[in-house]
Amino acid sequence: MTTPPHAALNNTLWLIRRELWENRSIWLMPLILGGLLLLAALFGRVDIEVPAHAGSGVGVSLLFGFSITFFLVMSIYSTWYLLDCLYTDRKDRSVLFWKSLPVSDTETVLSKLATALLVIPVVYFVVADLTSLLIAFIISVRASSLLGGSLWRMDLWLQLQALWLYLIVTLAIWYLPVAGWLMLVSAWARRAVMLWSILPPLALYLAERWFLGTDVLGTQIAGRLFGYIAVAFHARADGLAHLDGPAVAASAWDLMNPAAFLSNAATWAGAAVGFALIYGVIQVRYRRTDAG
Amino acid sequence: MTAIIEAHGLSKRYGAHLALDHADFTIQPGRIVGLIGPNGAGKTTAMRAILGLTPYEGSLSVLGREPFRERAALMRDVCFIADVAVLPSWLRVDRAIDFVGGVHPRFRRERALELLARTQITRKQTLRELSKGMKTQVHLALAMAIDAKLLVLDEPTLGLDLLARRGFYDALLNDYMDASRTILITTHQVEEIENLLTDVMFIERGRIALDCPVEELGTRFAVVAVNEDQTETARAAKPFYERRMLGKTLFYYETPDLQKLGAFGELHTPSIADLFVAKLSRQAA
Repeated sequence: MTTPPHAALNNTLWLIRRELWENRSIWLMPLILGGLLLLAALFGRVDIEVPAHAGSGVGVSLLFGFSITFFLVMSIYSTWYLLDCLYTDRKDRSVLFWKSLPVSDTETVLSKLATALLVIPVVYFVVADLTSLLIAFIISVRASSLLGGSLWRMDLWLQLQALWLYLIVTLAIWYLPVAGWLMLVSAWARRAVMLWSILPPLALYLAERWFLGTDVLGTQIAGRLFGYIAVAFHARADGLAHLDGPAVAASAWDLMNPAAFLSNAATWAGAAVGFALIYGVIQVRYRRTDAG
Repeated sequence: MTAIIEAHGLSKRYGAHLALDHADFTIQPGRIVGLIGPNGAGKTTAMRAILGLTPYEGSLSVLGREPFRERAALMRDVCFIADVAVLPSWLRVDRAIDFVGGVHPRFRRERALELLARTQITRKQTLRELSKGMKTQVHLALAMAIDAKLLVLDEPTLGLDLLARRGFYDALLNDYMDASRTILITTHQVEEIENLLTDVMFIERGRIALDCPVEELGTRFAVVAVNEDQTETARAAKPFYERRMLGKTLFYYETPDLQKLGAFGELHTPSIADLFVAKLSRQAA
């Protein structure tokens, strides 16, 4: 392929726009979630008794709590998106239309990956940020000055922005192999993408335990799925739920641990596996145009 | 002139099944070629190979490119319409135009809008709101606004009513076709495209059973309606197919000696549809 770089960039931007047209949930879901949280802030109970010494802690946990809610919804949605993104157009045969255009399969796959790992998180980040601002405003009008006041700290907002950016970058690197696997299933399976995403790893895991008596694969998969917080954050953060304790009125600066994340071998081993899987996705997408 | 498509020993295997079995064919520029075959004969596989959607064995060159390796580049000069179902249902008409205009260097936006203005379709409709006929109109407007050298149509009118089918082919002939373009159509509804083709290719069991310009059909094939008393003499002249109709027997001959056959009865050039039945029934027998 001899596409000049600016043409590849142009195509990728159009493809990402296309993803936003097709998957309106990318922005509708965070907007609805934000709307619900706003309703809760408007009509819910906010006259909580706040002990004076815990005031700022409550502010932190409230704002971080919103962000975590957005993140949970986002990770569920992104998983679904990745499993669906190279499957639906094969199922409804519209892949024949997309492949009739001068757009390469590499551009298609990378634009969908970029949508999942960058576009979706940024949309959630912006919506979560705006929602938090509005909610902070509503609460400070409705609630006690102590709780309200605890929400208006410049450094707290800066922390929140930094935390989001840190999450977006580190999650994209850490979960690249997971995204690659989900996309591989999405590009390959003729039906039942959900089952295909789970059964082969499960079968391999069981086979390894029965025949070799070892548990390498299981440890690796569990470590990848659940080990992120331990790698990217300081140990005390591995229960973000504990944030409401007065001891953790501390700041996000103390939680994030980029040095440990970047120097962890698992980070880069995972990224390498991720790249290999994405290469495989492109090869499968190149060859497979049918489903069902 | 260089050929638009050249295939030599084109083969494609699905497990034990040979969908294409060393097919050889050449398509010259400016032609309207009908690739005609029964279901499962290899039409769709041949199309997919030409469009770079599937790997194959043998050699295949489309506009000088190797389709499977260079699909994206090839699609700058090739346009493809499969049957009506392939435009995504969630896509809005104006966005379809925006998108194709965004990624296709040879797309003329004004042309697409002009073609759509002749229809009942409004730009803010999504494809799922349109009838099958309208979907085809959208796809045709997109395709005809692309300045492509080769247009490939795979059963383009499947599931359309007679009016929509007629409209489709009229638009194609009147507003699109000129000497710089080449059209390859597959269909199993032969009658429908009979009058617009310049070339016919029959495909059967993965092989090209006939490849002939329409203007040569008259010298290559003949059908004679023979009365009862002459059937034995007619049969002796080695027809490749015969069938009884209204008290006469129709005998089909290849590379006929027209003078000799004229003595048996009334002489005609078979229609493409009749020829298709004659050719392929004989092979099935």
